[in-house]
Amino acid sequence: MIRTIAKKEFISTLRDRRFVSLSLIVLLLLLSATIVGLHSYQNLQEEREVAQHTVNEQFANSADRHPHRMAHYGSYAFRPKSSLSFLDFGLDSYTGASVYMEAHRQNSANFSQAQQSTSLIRFGEMTVAFVLQMLLPLLIIFLCFGAFTQEKENGTLKLLLSQGVSLRQLAWAKVSGYSKVVALVVAPALALASLLIFGRGAFALDGDLLLRLLLFILFYGLYFFVFVVLSVVVSALHQRSSTALVSLLGIWILFCILIPKASANLGANLYTTPTRAQLDADVHAEVVKGIDGHNSQDERAEALKQELLKKYGASSLDQLPVNFDGIWMAVGEEQSSKVYQKHFNRLMGIFQKQNRISEWAALLNPYLAVRHLSMGMAGSDFGHYVDFQQKAETYRYHLAQELNHIQATQLRYGDKETRLSSATWGAFEPFEYDTPHASWALANHMISFLGLLLWGIGICIGGMRLIDNTKIV
Amino acid sequence: MQYILEAKRLCKQYQDKLALKDLNLQIRPGEIFCLLGQNGAGKSTTINLFLGFLKPTSGAAYIKGLEVASNLTKVKEYLAYIPENVMLYPNLTGLENLSLFSSLAGFEYSKDELMRYLLQAGLPAEAASRRVGGYSKGMRQKVGVAIAVAKHAQVLLLDEPTSGLDPKASNEFSELLLGLSASGTAIFMATHDIFRSKEVGTRVGIMREGELVDVLSAAELNANELEKLYLNYMHV
Repeated sequence: MIRTIAKKEFISTLRDRRFVSLSLIVLLLLLSATIVGLHSYQNLQEEREVAQHTVNEQFANSADRHPHRMAHYGSYAFRPKSSLSFLDFGLDSYTGASVYMEAHRQNSANFSQAQQSTSLIRFGEMTVAFVLQMLLPLLIIFLCFGAFTQEKENGTLKLLLSQGVSLRQLAWAKVSGYSKVVALVVAPALALASLLIFGRGAFALDGDLLLRLLLFILFYGLYFFVFVVLSVVVSALHQRSSTALVSLLGIWILFCILIPKASANLGANLYTTPTRAQLDADVHAEVVKGIDGHNSQDERAEALKQELLKKYGASSLDQLPVNFDGIWMAVGEEQSSKVYQKHFNRLMGIFQKQNRISEWAALLNPYLAVRHLSMGMAGSDFGHYVDFQQKAETYRYHLAQELNHIQATQLRYGDKETRLSSATWGAFEPFEYDTPHASWALANHMISFLGLLLWGIGICIGGMRLIDNTKIV
Repeated sequence: MQYILEAKRLCKQYQDKLALKDLNLQIRPGEIFCLLGQNGAGKSTTINLFLGFLKPTSGAAYIKGLEVASNLTKVKEYLAYIPENVMLYPNLTGLENLSLFSSLAGFEYSKDELMRYLLQAGLPAEAASRRVGGYSKGMRQKVGVAIAVAKHAQVLLLDEPTSGLDPKASNEFSELLLGLSASGTAIFMATHDIFRSKEVGTRVGIMREGELVDVLSAAELNANELEKLYLNYMHV
């Protein structure tokens, strides 16, 4: 019975020229967004790979230098685009693409696309995720708003029910039929995306990428299902198609525009972040004065000096078997890293509190849930950005400490003239960034995942109960 | 003989209006019961109660001895419904519509069998493969009859089915009803058409303000007498 009506809905919809035209537009947008997204991905990825290779080569082939000069010469970490980011740019356009890694300073990522683009980027980009998150629900609304109301207006609802169909069977049949239509619109674009990923060798094929793609498709499938069921239920609760459409468009505005804006603004107002200048000033002040004003830089240097002199039984720094400059640099690096990490963690804590509001709002809003999950699977969310920044900082810290160690063990105190050979720099492992596993990304968005899941279950149970109360006459 | 359609003290009260008051009615297989009454008299409410689309405030409606309200799925196996305006699905052909509704009732027919039902209901063969969106009201009503016939319904509930039909189509429709009645189908028809009631009905009921005020044998009255009686009731 359900299959019969679902088939009828599918055929009727495909014969509706208005809907077919609308679907073709959405499909074309999806296909073009996929191709444009891939083109952009390939360009950026290639640029970053070339840049990363170049700076790695430059570092490895540097001229003979003093190790501390080399620590200040530093290197760059370019954030590689994650493979699925061509489907969802997420925050990638707004977060920095490269980090300058040097001694004593923990720089944040710079040169985002937004910085290098016109203000038009603020209006958002036409990505696959944008079409799937914003436009597909609109298409679903236009497809489903008359699911029950048109049957009521045409008098076919009574005819259907008199044949022995129950309201729930009818609702599930509608959901099934419309879901097939939605799949027909979305499937070609996702098939193209999969073909581009797995068919052209443009991506390193691995299980994680496959898992991310499968979860990406699964989450969107659930999101569309929620919208289909929601639209059918709202239609069942109205007597006229026009009022059902207005209600559904209201829900769309609430879900896709108002709640996301409100939750972002609420987060920013409740948890204010320090300015970049303030953060830099705080870090610098603590490095010089010591954490919380205790144990200043000069006091620490003096204490270290006395400790080493005592340990080696020496009366002056040049009698030490190790280079005090190198050791002091290492201690300073450790201290500044601690200070930076403290401030970085505090800042991330504020960002996380801001994001947490949006995550919790995902329990009320399937759009927010799928947006977080989509960015998470695409590797373009805040979590992946922070992960890159942290890994770049870890690399920077170890690079600086290795150079300090060389200075401490291979050069004498006060020696600012010795130059180590170019071969020394070639022995350093270059920076390589590995995207975290899909399970890590999913764990970051567990609330959103639960939100989407609860929406799926809740709309099935609650929605069908509401449908039982549909007024037939 | 067992009544196939029965109402016992059937009442329907809306918030401030008594739409149906203590309806007692029995209809046998093969009988055509025509219910006359003005708009809002309670005719459609009665049909909706037999269909289970409304819950009675008190009393009960029965089909083949089964109380409708508590046997919603089962009773629908026995009945078919033709509204005033059979709209069907405009993007499907007559054949596809019939196939769909028959399938929902549990009957899977071949294309030839479906065609036979449509022809039997009086639909021209060339129209069967056209989309229903281009059909006249009369043609749609014929598909509605074909749906009822293909379901082998034992009870036919009709809500002003000839309203808006031209005389020829209306006459053809009456012929179909008489044919169904002869094969044992009980027909309950709400209508404004006094002359059609006299022509096809076995009995004619007159309803006023939710109350069945009289039931007459169609054979014992001519159309003019029936009209006079009806108007008398309406003006009291």
